Amino acid sequence: MIKTKNGELKELYYPTISEITKIEKFTDKEKWFEIRLPNGDDLQHQPGQFVEVSLFGIGEAPISVTSSPTKKGAFELCVRETGMLTEVMHRMESGDKIGIRGPFGQGYDIDAMKGKDILIIGGGIGIVPLRSLINYVIDNRQDFGKLIICYGAKTPDELLYPEELKRWEKDDNIEFHLTVDQGDENWSGNVGVITTLIPGLKLDLKNTIAAVTGPPIMYKFVLLSLQSKGLPDENVYMSLERRMKCGVGKCGHCQINHSYVCQDGPVYHYPTLKTMEEAI
Amino acid sequence: MKGMFLSKESVVPFIEHLASQQKVFAPNKKVHGSITFEEVNDANDVVLNYARALLSVKKYFLPQRETLLKYKLDDNSFEKQEIEQVNAIFLGVHNYDLQAVLKLDYNFKNNNPEKNYLKRREGAVFVGISYEPDNFHFSQSVGIDPHNTNGFDLFLHKTEEGFVLEVLTKSGEKLLDGFGEISEFQGEYPRNENFNASLYAPQSKLKEVFANSYDNPIWKEMAEKCVGCGTCNLTCPTCFCFNVEDNVGITLKDGSRDRHLDGCMLRGFTEVAGGEIFRDELAGRMRHRIYRKFKYISDITGEPWCVGCGRCTIFCPAGISIVDIVNRLVSDYDKQQVLNEGQMTSVLD
Amino acid sequence: MKPKVAVFDFTGCEGCELNKLNFENELLDIIAHIDFVEWREAMDDKADEYDIAFIEGSISTPECVDRIHDIRNRSKILIALGACAVCGGMNAMKNQKPLEVAREEVYGKDKDLFPTLPALPLSAYVKVDFEIRGCPMTQQEFLRVVTALLMGKNPIIPDYAVCVECKLKENECVYGNGMICMGPITRAGCDAQCPSFGQYCIGCRGLVSHPNKEAMIEILTNHGLSVDEADKKMSLFNTENREGGLK
Ligand SMILES: Cc1cc2nc3c(=O)[nH]c(=O)nc-3n(C[C@H](O)[C@H](O)[C@H](O)COP(=O)(O)OP(=O)(O)OC[C@H]3O[C@@H](n4cnc5c(N)ncnc54)[C@H](O)[C@@H]3O)c2cc1C
Ligand code: SF4
Ligand code: SF4
Ligand code: FES
Repeated sequence: MIKTKNGELKELYYPTISEITKIEKFTDKEKWFEIRLPNGDDLQHQPGQFVEVSLFGIGEAPISVTSSPTKKGAFELCVRETGMLTEVMHRMESGDKIGIRGPFGQGYDIDAMKGKDILIIGGGIGIVPLRSLINYVIDNRQDFGKLIICYGAKTPDELLYPEELKRWEKDDNIEFHLTVDQGDENWSGNVGVITTLIPGLKLDLKNTIAAVTGPPIMYKFVLLSLQSKGLPDENVYMSLERRMKCGVGKCGHCQINHSYVCQDGPVYHYPTLKTMEEAI
Repeated sequence: MKGMFLSKESVVPFIEHLASQQKVFAPNKKVHGSITFEEVNDANDVVLNYARALLSVKKYFLPQRETLLKYKLDDNSFEKQEIEQVNAIFLGVHNYDLQAVLKLDYNFKNNNPEKNYLKRREGAVFVGISYEPDNFHFSQSVGIDPHNTNGFDLFLHKTEEGFVLEVLTKSGEKLLDGFGEISEFQGEYPRNENFNASLYAPQSKLKEVFANSYDNPIWKEMAEKCVGCGTCNLTCPTCFCFNVEDNVGITLKDGSRDRHLDGCMLRGFTEVAGGEIFRDELAGRMRHRIYRKFKYISDITGEPWCVGCGRCTIFCPAGISIVDIVNRLVSDYDKQQVLNEGQMTSVLD
Repeated sequence: MKPKVAVFDFTGCEGCELNKLNFENELLDIIAHIDFVEWREAMDDKADEYDIAFIEGSISTPECVDRIHDIRNRSKILIALGACAVCGGMNAMKNQKPLEVAREEVYGKDKDLFPTLPALPLSAYVKVDFEIRGCPMTQQEFLRVVTALLMGKNPIIPDYAVCVECKLKENECVYGNGMICMGPITRAGCDAQCPSFGQYCIGCRGLVSHPNKEAMIEILTNHGLSVDEADKKMSLFNTENREGGLK
């Protein structure tokens, strides 16, 4: 049993009251938040893990940590406004208090990724948890092979992390591909869904690990393209989304077959997912 | 066996003796009309001859509603909830319900042990009682022998003249201090082993059956009869899913974060923002419920996560029977096996 | 700024509004947070725009139609209050007869002075943001909705069956006492009031979304109702369940 120092069981449902220290508006629907735990403690998360954001009077919602654990003193979230809690969060300001529980779940298997080429495939808001991994790889560049990033959004207006995208674009150590489903008058880049980027990639198949995150429909097509490219299923990791309440494997909401997404996921090794009905 | 004989006349004094030492919870019919566990104020209100309680004793460790924390909105502070040990004697518990508690113990002890449940659970003392299976009990099929005394401190075996009171633990023995002589004796009681309802296969075979029943047409057929009311989940002694809600006081100054039992048969259970529902079809929800009882946890523990109490069936307004569902899966599986063997031999020929 | 709140009534018994006046203590707390700008029964102050408009009653005359559109245009949030406004309610019973017959029954020879329409829920004419169900609505739920709105969040209105609340309260199921209960398919939120008092649920909060009506009809017919009677029981508070009920 997990006991704290004084022999008591660990508290599962009490949030740590933290502070929003910076906010940036990326798009009409997405905002980025920097959050500081009391005393500037580190969150001690793994790329791919999430926290439960807790607002008294409103509720809680699972949100991926979008910053890398290599960032110290604060961590970051990127939140799309879709319902109750996320709307209220969008009205908050720097200096406001916010409750945090976590980090929860399984992140990316960093050990399995070390020494390998990393292929990131993110669709829409799926880039949010992936950015934690991207920045982790960038900050530990010597531990990994190539870093290939494929990112797609519906329109140029919906691209997240505008400043960082420019940096990734310029970085000689990163192979960066960007696409939008629909361009606009100022857009000169790729147009097409994210799968159109995959056939052109040059991959060292045995030595590449792919991390894929995006809306459910994206998975089918991306997986098919990766398979036809010859990338073994064992080399693919994906992140799933399900309704969550507790984040600690108790409330049952996130369950897929025998697996609690909040515990065994949200990041799964693709071969595991293949054995689970209802997963993708 | 160690224990004593308890005549019909000494039942009330026995209950009073227990109640003089500690709080006692026992089946009662007066409070809700249905059989429910209630605190004993008058030993004469205790109903020892009953089929099943509407909710099992689970409700004392995982209450239907519970406040997780209270907060103040003006300064964003919160108050921790003091969780009190229930510390009581549970009298007249049927053995399937105690087995269900032991299963919940597993769920709340493993991966992130939950203080709320575990703390309340500590210190509970159980006095079991034998029962006559009705048309809905099928505990024997899930490995809970009608005279299984596992986990009890004391057990009342019913006889014509009263009860054989079996002493099983030290704490059980202590409860009888000053009540009567405990001796080593041959307690004779009729063994009630006739179950009208039973599953056709033990868990070892059900494992195979469930591995091959995901696409069985029965899920759709049952879904046509089911109204999705969630009664089966809410009365199940091994269900533990819950929802969490924030409730704010009318002055908008404070509020509480509360949880209440939820059910995977309810449509909104898997709904996420934007309206996507991961198990939108009743058939999928029905399958999930039954798979949770016989596969998802069972594949890990080797035990069915159903205790055969029959609640989900007797209380279902649509009369959907878990026994019928499982037996249909078993017989469909057997038929399929025969067919497959037929094909095998014809290939070999 | 405090939100401006108005209360209007259409065709209904006004039981819901009166009900609201029964909890004065809480009302004072609410009034601290809102500005009542229009409430026919309580005051006659009028304003042009409302942050929240509570509407009671169903729509059953051409004049009502104009008025509800007008209110909608002037309200940010429009809330249907009680069974009549949410699903037509008891008023909708008149829809089962030809309109002319109903008009004659109610107004006799003066019927031509009273133009009438089928009694329909507000949602048949305008967008309804939230619904407070029940006949009459319960105070607890009204307070829950108001506090949620004041907190700037959407009120949680359960979309599961009354049976859930019955089980949480350990009520004995009234089917066991030979009654016929609409709980299995009726939206919860009333804390299973009627079954808690040993009464069957008449379904005043309307159906859950995506009800399995065929299965419910089977339950009802298994308990001795004819299909027709079963249908009527389900329609009592659900105009949408009736042929030609909703536009
Ligand atoms: C592992 C994980 C990581 C996520 N990461 C992010 C992220 O980085 N950024 C982001 O914008 N969104 C993320 N989401 C989605 C986010 O959790 C939902 O958008 C959010 O819960 C909506 O809450 P709400 O209160 O605004 O919506 P409402 O519709 O009002 O939802 C009410 C409640 O239902 C539950 N719920 C609703 N939708 C979801 C959902 N999609 N997943 C889980 N629970 C849900 C929550 O408890 C929520 O508070 C993530 C979801 C999961 C499961
Ligand atoms: S109790 Fe019966 S009708 Fe209700 S959800 Fe369960 S199976 Fe369906
Ligand atoms: S009394 Fe009605 S609402 Fe309650 S459990 Fe029975 S059928 Fe459901
Ligand atoms: S979120 Fe509660 S079990 Fe996963």
